[in-house]
Amino acid sequence: MSFSLFSRRFLASVCLAMSALSHAQEGTQTASYSVNDSQPVPLLSGGLAFVPTWEAGTPTLVSIISPVLLAPLGKDLVFESRAEFEGDFQPRNGTAGDFTGAVQKTLDYMQLDYIGNRYVTISAGRFLTPFNVFNERLYPNWIRNTQSDPLIFPLGTGSDDGLMFRGGISAGKNLNLNYTAYFSSLSGIDHFESERHVGARIAAFLPRERLEIGASLQHQLQQQHLNRLGWHLVWQPMRVPLELRAEGAFSGPEGSGLWLEGAYRLPNARFAPLRRAQVVARTQAFQTGSIVGLNRDLPVSDTKRTEFTFNYFLKDGWKALAGYGRTFTALGNSNIWTVGMTYRFLLPLGSRQ
Amino acid sequence: MKIRSGFICGLMGMALLAGGKLASSAAKSSVVSQPSLPPQEVDLRSMIEGEKRYRINCGRCHQPPHRFSPREMAMAVRHMRVRAMLTEEDMKFVIYYLTH
Ligand code: HEC
Repeated sequence: MSFSLFSRRFLASVCLAMSALSHAQEGTQTASYSVNDSQPVPLLSGGLAFVPTWEAGTPTLVSIISPVLLAPLGKDLVFESRAEFEGDFQPRNGTAGDFTGAVQKTLDYMQLDYIGNRYVTISAGRFLTPFNVFNERLYPNWIRNTQSDPLIFPLGTGSDDGLMFRGGISAGKNLNLNYTAYFSSLSGIDHFESERHVGARIAAFLPRERLEIGASLQHQLQQQHLNRLGWHLVWQPMRVPLELRAEGAFSGPEGSGLWLEGAYRLPNARFAPLRRAQVVARTQAFQTGSIVGLNRDLPVSDTKRTEFTFNYFLKDGWKALAGYGRTFTALGNSNIWTVGMTYRFLLPLGSRQ
Repeated sequence: MKIRSGFICGLMGMALLAGGKLASSAAKSSVVSQPSLPPQEVDLRSMIEGEKRYRINCGRCHQPPHRFSPREMAMAVRHMRVRAMLTEEDMKFVIYYLTH
């Protein structure tokens, strides 16, 4: 990629963002935020995770720290950013010897959000690609119910540099609609790598049933000009402590797949300590596309995987977990074991009162 | 040119903003009533509505957070408005509930 091409596209995005921002500024004079009388304080938040994993007999000491920086800039502007430092340490000689490995540093997002009005928020900068929902909503280790990434995760997700419009709108007594639409530029700059995409996601959420169904679409504006399609479903009935989540993704040349996860809490268990426990089962399947290896992060053969996890929510943002899974592929089957702890922290960067 | 679709996307967003601006001033009278009470008094209706919306929304992706200070909560809920695409009403009532 030539830098001038990137800078032209990036400039175009920024100009568009700026004109939209200044336009939107007028609109918010009328929007009332009187209920929010507390001045937001900048926050340093994020997660820590230590989740050693044994996959096909090979241990990996996975250690992650991902700080999130949040800063209010005036009444309707928010700066948000997350970096991720992940060390995957493996024995020097495969299964024995001292552990060694590099620490990967990733800038997941660094964006400016303008909360324009009840219909639209504009984000400019580097953002999490809103294709399906795992990337935006469930990715942090302290949030995800099953520690490994879904097999289809590399399809259409990651981070993009560009402009995004998004919003959640109440469309009836028991219907909220939410959408995002975005376009991004090509970039090969260190830590700001991005593909050129245009995409959208739309979803309907029924608050009473706590049911959300949505669809994502992404068109790659470079190389193979791939079209990626996705769908998601989340159901968390109010009366039963059950969470059901599913996602599917399709891209002809890259492959397609889906995952389905059920998580059950035991809030009424007789044995009080069990009330903090959650049992999770996730099953998934991936089928390779017409060009195997086109997306190097996807499995190279048809794969099925089923995992079970036991999460235990401790106090103060700590979670302990243990999991077992089995992967089935034409090249052979293998086990995955995971144990570990995750932690969510939140620190004010200023006066709390 | 490839960037054309990007611009179309951008233009659609701007149209939405412009439309939103008109509609939000028109809808202002019908928007959920804004509790404009002295800081000390707590509006019970807003508290109940806020708790309801907190229960519906704040445990959807992660464990519902316990209360932080009002200034911390005001920041986190703004972040969640963007991330979780909460509606404007959800955000206002949840902030009210979590900061009173
Ligand atoms: C659609 C999913 C989703 C919903 C719904 C949601 N959250 Fe979050 N929340 C997240 C994610 C994802 C993060 C982690 C952000 C990151 O690491 O980039 C997060 C982080 C947080 C944090 C840590 C500080 C921060 O802002 O990163 C707090 C506090 C929080 N959420 C509170 C809430 C509250 C209060 C609600 C209800 C109004 C809520 N959340 C609803 C997805 C959600």
